Amino acid sequence: MPKLILKFEAAVLKEVSVGGQPVTIGRAPDNDIQIDNLAVSSHHARVLAEDNKLFIEDLNSLNGTFVNNQRVQRVQLKQGDQVLIGKHHLVVDMGAVEAPALPDTRKVAAPKVEETMVLDTKKRKELLQQEAAGGGAPGAHERTQPVGTTATAPPRARVASLVVMEGSTDQREYLLSSKLTVIGKSDMATIKLKGWFKPKVAAQINKRDDGYYIGPADKLPTVNGQPIHGPTKLNEGDLIEVAGVKMNFVFKD
Amino acid sequence: MRISVGARTDVGRVRTNNEDSFKLVPELNLFILSDGMGGEAHGEIASNIAVQAVAAHCAEGRRDPSTPLLVEPRPELSTETNRLVSSVELANRMIYESAQKHPAQRGMGATVVAVWINDQRLSVAHVGDSRLYLLRAGDFQQLTQDHSLVAEQVRRGIISREQADSSDMQSVLIRALGIDPEVQVDADEHLLMEGDILVLCSDGLSRMVTDLEIASTLLSQNGLQPAADRLVELANEYGGEDNISVVVVRMEPRPEGLLARVWRWLNEPLNATSSAGGN
Repeated sequence: MPKLILKFEAAVLKEVSVGGQPVTIGRAPDNDIQIDNLAVSSHHARVLAEDNKLFIEDLNSLNGTFVNNQRVQRVQLKQGDQVLIGKHHLVVDMGAVEAPALPDTRKVAAPKVEETMVLDTKKRKELLQQEAAGGGAPGAHERTQPVGTTATAPPRARVASLVVMEGSTDQREYLLSSKLTVIGKSDMATIKLKGWFKPKVAAQINKRDDGYYIGPADKLPTVNGQPIHGPTKLNEGDLIEVAGVKMNFVFKD
Repeated sequence: MRISVGARTDVGRVRTNNEDSFKLVPELNLFILSDGMGGEAHGEIASNIAVQAVAAHCAEGRRDPSTPLLVEPRPELSTETNRLVSSVELANRMIYESAQKHPAQRGMGATVVAVWINDQRLSVAHVGDSRLYLLRAGDFQQLTQDHSLVAEQVRRGIISREQADSSDMQSVLIRALGIDPEVQVDADEHLLMEGDILVLCSDGLSRMVTDLEIASTLLSQNGLQPAADRLVELANEYGGEDNISVVVVRMEPRPEGLLARVWRWLNEPLNATSSAGGN
């Protein structure tokens, strides 16, 4: 099934399959792909599948829909097309049918494998080098990179910290060096909230290979005023507010 | 937090022996699942060593925190997570050494996925393609990344997820216990909430039953043991091509505290309060 991969600069934000129903794109929350940016109209564009072909339609958006740098009204999408909406990109992946040629890994491993087997270090290296060469074809690595994993060359993990702007905590600044940072009154909390009626665990921050994600616990935190319902990636300068405490998210270099 | 658990392992419909093992250590809130491989009965030996070694090393660490770790502790991980990583290293070493000692066991190996829950902190360690899932508020996600060739190819953008699902290379692992003297262990931590359900499973479940079906089975069954039983049944209905193991763990909601009850009582309308007092 064809897919749309939503990217902001190098980061993959979301993957959406395009099937029977059109996929809607816009700033309003009822869109299939919501882009929370003022340059994006509330119902900006939609992508639909007709006879195994994909089409994108601009829904009279203010700032326009661009395919490979051309402003478009309605146009067919092809494998690898770059759609620009506001500052976000959508990359078109038509799926298995038009996927780039696979490097032939089978010769290296085995014919048909029934039993579980493990590649030894040497074989693994051989295979990964082959893959790296295969994946290095122009644009090939961009198209199918899944969400939440690192690319072939993972970016060096940067350490961030939270600077307390307002509210009662036991420190002014917290370095986010742990995999899991808990905000609350609990013993396991790194960011200790002080005062009566503060939640045991107000929110959590997870450090992953591709950055930091904040998620709710007993409270719904907000990031730049927007309530967070699930894990949400943090960006430089984000203002986090939870249980009466305001904090600024900054990277340490 | 109160924790309940259900678990089941089954040989499946095709194989003649069950090479999976699991071990539940409720007094530590430690749950371990392993999928063994190797000729004859050696897969069973490997997976059994894996679950026993992880349980023993974590129990030892709890009894005596000065018990040495087998690897340098990672600063970003908690004490328990570092212990769990160390226990998986120990399992690797024990399987490796056993295979070195007994030439018939050469080539045996195992996957492992282990979770250790302390207060609300979940520690996860895994090697191979046995998985951990989290079902939270209707949202079902895989918390581990498979160490399989196809999963790595997807991560590197060489094949799509659909291609991975239909690949005949799904059984090729790039990491497993017992193959080399040392192994790279993936570790992670998460905050658990009341009502969360964790699923540990071998690929005999995850390759036969879709994520959506696993999630809806968990939501539709009353009780964790029936859920575990039903998941195994489903994998068998779809062919049962491999051994099937599943461990289901739920964070039970805490009973309401005294303060909360008083607060609720104070906020209840007057007539409701008086009728409650009449009982």
